[in-house]
Amino acid sequence: MTSMTNITPALPKKKTSKYKDMNQLSAGANLVWNVLLIIGCLFCIVPLWIVIVASFTDNATLVMKGYKFWPAVFSGSAYKFLLSSGGGSMLVAYKNTVAATLLGTVLCVISVGLYAYPLSRTDFRYRRFFTFYSFFSMVFNVGTVAFYMLCTSILQINNTLYALFLPQSFSAYWVIIMRTFYRSNIPDSVIESARIDGAGEWRTLLQIVAPLAIPGFATVALFAAVGIWNNYFNALLLINKRELYNLQYTLAEILKSIQFLKEMAASSGGAVDTIKNLGDLPSESFRMAMAVVTMGPIILAYPFFQKYFVKGLTIGAVKG
Amino acid sequence: MKATALSKETRKVVKKRSWGTGEVKRHLAYLIMLLPGIIFLFVFSYLPLPTIIMAFKKYKLAIPPAGHWLQNKFLYSLFFKSPWVGLENFKFILNAPLFPVFMRNTIGYNLVFMAIGLVAAVALAVGINELRQRKAAKVYHTILFLPYFLSWIIVTYILFAFISPAGVIPQAFTALGMTPPQLYNNAKAWPIIYVIFNLWKYAGNGSIIYLSTITGFSQELYEAASIDGAGKWKQFRYVTFPQLVPTIILLQILAVGRILNADFDMFYNLRNGASAAYQNSLTIDVYVYEMIKSNPSKLYYPAAAAFFQSLIGFVLVLTTNSIVRKVEPEMAMF
Repeated sequence: MTSMTNITPALPKKKTSKYKDMNQLSAGANLVWNVLLIIGCLFCIVPLWIVIVASFTDNATLVMKGYKFWPAVFSGSAYKFLLSSGGGSMLVAYKNTVAATLLGTVLCVISVGLYAYPLSRTDFRYRRFFTFYSFFSMVFNVGTVAFYMLCTSILQINNTLYALFLPQSFSAYWVIIMRTFYRSNIPDSVIESARIDGAGEWRTLLQIVAPLAIPGFATVALFAAVGIWNNYFNALLLINKRELYNLQYTLAEILKSIQFLKEMAASSGGAVDTIKNLGDLPSESFRMAMAVVTMGPIILAYPFFQKYFVKGLTIGAVKG
Repeated sequence: MKATALSKETRKVVKKRSWGTGEVKRHLAYLIMLLPGIIFLFVFSYLPLPTIIMAFKKYKLAIPPAGHWLQNKFLYSLFFKSPWVGLENFKFILNAPLFPVFMRNTIGYNLVFMAIGLVAAVALAVGINELRQRKAAKVYHTILFLPYFLSWIIVTYILFAFISPAGVIPQAFTALGMTPPQLYNNAKAWPIIYVIFNLWKYAGNGSIIYLSTITGFSQELYEAASIDGAGKWKQFRYVTFPQLVPTIILLQILAVGRILNADFDMFYNLRNGASAAYQNSLTIDVYVYEMIKSNPSKLYYPAAAAFFQSLIGFVLVLTTNSIVRKVEPEMAMF
């Protein structure tokens, strides 16, 4: 991490290079930058690697010899245990998280995509009002207690699946990104010509605008999905039923207490064979295996979606 | 927002303009499109607003009598049965022994994160932009952005793999024949840990706006500077940096507006229950949450703390926004 802060002092090295016809970084400075950035990248990847390696390490070895860069004794037993009845609660948490992520993401893309469109149209008379209406939610946060009371005493979505995605299924921030995206990527002329051809507003939006706005939708969808997948606070605040815990909450509890892990294993179905397992519960490597399956989908999907969001973000980030 | 006489007049004219053919229909369609968002915002941002008065009341639970128009237990109790207590709840929060601790932590961490995050983000953006190998630059940026997508719970696991007794760092100390540090029990280590992991998670993300801003700069300036004999450092100092200043100011000002909002997931989880780290991990969000959970019958105390946080945040955002509007009208949020 310190490598990142060290990047600035490296810049003056360029002074030593001779003038160039091409205004390029000198070979030396270029090398220094490469090295620094590679170190930075290693700082990002190695920790993940260590967690993955630990999940594939024999539990006793892991406890005795510690976390290594390569499994001292390779073992897939943590994953076997996860797939057996021992991982029962984890599978429930997985199901809850997948369901919440899918529902929340679909809701978010639809509601944000719809809300941002009229705001991007200059021929919409109440644009200012509805822009402010959504902005206000960003500027004034009602606070945790009001949110808690809203969910528990007014909406009563605590201890339901809704608590895991509903509060995340819209965001004024994404409205801004999406509105800017519509404005900068969909030429007015396209909408005008659709209108002249007799298309109504809905048809224009769904058949003309939406296909052009897919990178914008993708950005919103990916961030919404990651946000819900990674959400911990809602489950912490609003859920106290084991069958509704999500992944992050389960994961956090498991690290806090090995007791939770044992209860989890014991409570999940097949009584006799599970209890037999408790003695040789691969606790440490099992924990790491659960971290791996929790971050797995994000890491696997990341290379595919990153090109979308960088584009969507850089366009949306420039305020319009 | 810019209420010049002219624009007011123009707006009046626009308002008075009669509805053209198809315009009513179009606006109906627009309103239907807005509807899901309107409902969401109403429920989650506007409906809770009146309940903020809890901060000024002693909440007492009461059952609404049959036939009363408000049958919701919470709302009935709050509006009709709870006595006003003025600023008493705020006094309680201000006099809480932990108040100076969580205020120091919340503001202190945010200031340090801002400063270090700024240096890292600008440095990353400049470095990635200058690199000769464009493909490599892209790969680096992709990798550096990855931690942003991992939850703080995963980061807690990573930290555990590094600093728990069997972790990488104590193992390395043992291998070198030194006493392994017990970082979970070392209060002083935690500010450093928070700074490191905050940087780790957000540096890649923070650099994106600077990177896209730098990419937009005219190359002619750099060529001219280069011909005049400016090296890369001088180009950064006299060409890149001055052009970046508006963006830097804007982002820092926005960050000031969020100075009372701490990353709950990080401060609540990362220490993994280590009590030695508590004093250095307690931020206002954690405090509010702990009060909700520890004393659910006295929610008016955390309500006062949360209102204090919201109000300061609101005032700061408005103030900073009006400063931005004066400095760089283009960049103001509203």
